[in-house]
Amino acid sequence: MKARRLTPYILIVVPATFLLAFFVIPSAVLLSMSVVQSEDTIPTGNLTLDNYATLLSNRLYLSAILRSFIIGVASGVIVVVLAYPLAYFLVRTTSRWKNLLIALSLAPLLASVIVRTYGWWVVLNREGALNVALRSLGAIDQPLIMLPSTSAIVIGLAHALLPYGVLTIMASLNGLNPNLERAAMSLGAGRVRTFLAVTLPLTAPGILGGFLLTFAIAMSAYATPAILGGPTTEVMATMIRRFMLELLDWSLGSAMGAILLVSAMILLLLTSALGNRQRES
Amino acid sequence: MADPALQITTLTKRFGTLTAVDAIDLTVAQGEFVTLLGPSGCGKTTTLNMIAGFVPPDAGSIRLQGRPVESLPPFRRDLGLVFQDYALFPHMTAAENVGFGLRMRRLPREETVRRVAEALDLVQMSGLGERRPSQLSGGQRQRVALARALVIRPAMLLLDEPLSNLDLKLREEMRGEISALQRRLAIATVFVTHDQGEALTMSDRIAVMRAGRIEQIGTPTDIYERPATRFVAGFIGTANMIEDTDGVTVIRPERLRLSSAEHAPPGTRHWPVRVEHVVYIGPRLELRLRATDGTRLQAEMVNDGTAAWSAGDTATAWFRAEDAWAIRTP
Amino acid sequence: MTGRLPWSALKLAVACIYLFMLGPIVITASVAFNQDNRSYFPPRGFSLQWWEAAFGPQWLQPLLFSLELATLTALISAAAGVPLAFAFQRYRFPGKALVRAITLGPLILPTLVTGIALLQFLSLIGLGRWMGFWALLIGHVVICLPFSVRTIAISLAAMPGNVEPAASSLGATPFAVLRHVTLPLAAPGVLAGMIFAFVHSFDDVNLSLFIARPGERPLTVAILGFLEFGFAPTLAAVSIVSMLIPLALVALFGRFVGIGDFLYQETGNG
Repeated sequence: MKARRLTPYILIVVPATFLLAFFVIPSAVLLSMSVVQSEDTIPTGNLTLDNYATLLSNRLYLSAILRSFIIGVASGVIVVVLAYPLAYFLVRTTSRWKNLLIALSLAPLLASVIVRTYGWWVVLNREGALNVALRSLGAIDQPLIMLPSTSAIVIGLAHALLPYGVLTIMASLNGLNPNLERAAMSLGAGRVRTFLAVTLPLTAPGILGGFLLTFAIAMSAYATPAILGGPTTEVMATMIRRFMLELLDWSLGSAMGAILLVSAMILLLLTSALGNRQRES
Repeated sequence: MADPALQITTLTKRFGTLTAVDAIDLTVAQGEFVTLLGPSGCGKTTTLNMIAGFVPPDAGSIRLQGRPVESLPPFRRDLGLVFQDYALFPHMTAAENVGFGLRMRRLPREETVRRVAEALDLVQMSGLGERRPSQLSGGQRQRVALARALVIRPAMLLLDEPLSNLDLKLREEMRGEISALQRRLAIATVFVTHDQGEALTMSDRIAVMRAGRIEQIGTPTDIYERPATRFVAGFIGTANMIEDTDGVTVIRPERLRLSSAEHAPPGTRHWPVRVEHVVYIGPRLELRLRATDGTRLQAEMVNDGTAAWSAGDTATAWFRAEDAWAIRTP
Repeated sequence: MTGRLPWSALKLAVACIYLFMLGPIVITASVAFNQDNRSYFPPRGFSLQWWEAAFGPQWLQPLLFSLELATLTALISAAAGVPLAFAFQRYRFPGKALVRAITLGPLILPTLVTGIALLQFLSLIGLGRWMGFWALLIGHVVICLPFSVRTIAISLAAMPGNVEPAASSLGATPFAVLRHVTLPLAAPGVLAGMIFAFVHSFDDVNLSLFIARPGERPLTVAILGFLEFGFAPTLAAVSIVSMLIPLALVALFGRFVGIGDFLYQETGNG
């Protein structure tokens, strides 16, 4: 009996120690670095909230934080709006291509976000596919300047994160008892009415879940803002890179990291709480 | 072998505050088929799990072939188990499933192959040994599971509701086959079920369990015709229970007679009744009756073309004293 | 009365969404066939020179580096994931919730933050020289482990109910049960977990960005670095190649592990 009680600890001891050393402690160090003064990369030891005060009082830093949130919300909304019809179609279609279509809509997840964003750079840059096409059609004389811009970042992220929305909403639609819709129709509601009165409200948690998940990932994304943005469109992730690797101001970098960490965690915990509630009902 | 195949004394298991099995005693003779029958939650599966060694008892003893086994792990108890879901290994063929126990016993290859073939033959599955469980029907899986349990020549066989996942017709077929096989091999067997039909048709003896205790243990005839308690009378079959001052009189519906005359034969108990409803079963008819004093009764008769009752008819219901059984409350 | 009209409208909308989703990838792929070093679309002329360049030493080195890193990450994640999943799935023990939260934590925390935390920590304790391959390997295992643990735990949970007791009743010792029943049945889950960890490691940007160093950069970071110098069809070719590797891996093994389950798993950090 004693030995059996020890078994789980024997199983976890090596991986848990590894995670403690290279995940838990580093994260704790990061959080503490954000509340101490430092000389470049060397902490000097005094406790202070100056780092946060600096971030929140400087226009440049503050606008990066706000831009991250705006980008998160905007790409979350676009993802949900595009993912819902797609997910609804994929769940309900009787086409024999159904599985292929599902795979096609999720396969982009297997490619790095860099590759997926990169396509937009090809399309949107000054000499990119869109400008070339428009010019050859004679629609414009001068190339349109679409990069860098916050909207381009939002489009890129919405594109990269669309599969997450499809997954979350498909799960929610799959969990819907099909007899509820049949019941509504048997009671005289047309297809559209049934959708608005039954399907949509019952899948609302899936919609919100998809939104929050996309929001959290978009908010902390680095690659897309780096590729489609520029000095005028800094976000938290790109600022953090600047602090850590160029300015070597690790205290400010840590403080910005802590802000990002807490915001993303709140969003994702909300998401999983929603998921649990939906699973229970 | 003078020892019984299985001897359980004051076996007890508690889960928190719930006493799942409450000091039960049970003896299974060599070659005997004993059924643990009861509703879900009565403790029958827990008892089986204690015999098999998956659940440690809190008190009491278990002897297999005279040998105490409480401290033995499941893999040293030498029992043949058939699970409700068959628990066939999905990554092995039928033959590999059957051979698993022999492999664990490190038998020589040739002997393993021979005994696997014999066991598959025994359950009429020869030729299907190379199939995977997913390629077998429910009944075939059942046979493989049975062969797998028997091939190790276990000290006894434990069957945990093995028929409940089969459809009705197959279930009745397998009942007969398992019974025949068990008699042929003369292997002591404990069978767990909540299905009274299975219990009555297959068992030498039935132990009716309720709330962790054995209410009655006896032959199928004992249990059906001479129930010890109201619970047993009501759980097995249908019973008209007529309240008396010192207990109840149990009369089975098929022993309750109905006549159109106003008077019943002399020396019988009888009531004037009204037929409220006739349930058509096919081979039999079930009649719901109400006596003039309000007592509800049920009668059952063979649908041989002579019974022409319909709702609203008035009649006399009666039974002979020797067809009834009295349960006296102490 | 609403009939099939809404459904036709939906189909049209879905077609547009697919166009939005797959268009940029198709455009990138076709741009890589341009004759000149320009991003014309549709491509002008036809040439395979950029694809050839994509396999030149400049790109082959980070590609091989990424493959090596992802393979090792996958192996270590599986080796560490099996005991963790086992402990979580099969045992109750004080501290379980905490250990599980720590294991799955990297899914919730932004990968970027895990990256800078590791960068700082290794530098502060004087292990800055680990930057590059070793630090990347550590970081990738941290962020990929949750995927393999979750996949393996799911395969353990999905194991048919009584097969382990059945094996035990047939005389299999606990070790024999593990060897002949549990592990073979968990194998598809372990394989799926490994593929998952591989893909996640191969695609990572947010962590690698901070702890790579010149000469020891994964492909994604190399692409990102090259973007600062501008665009060339070569980069399009490299992107497509780097996209095809995880796709090929899943196409090869997806059949064994169920591609659906596989993709359903991917709901962590991007």
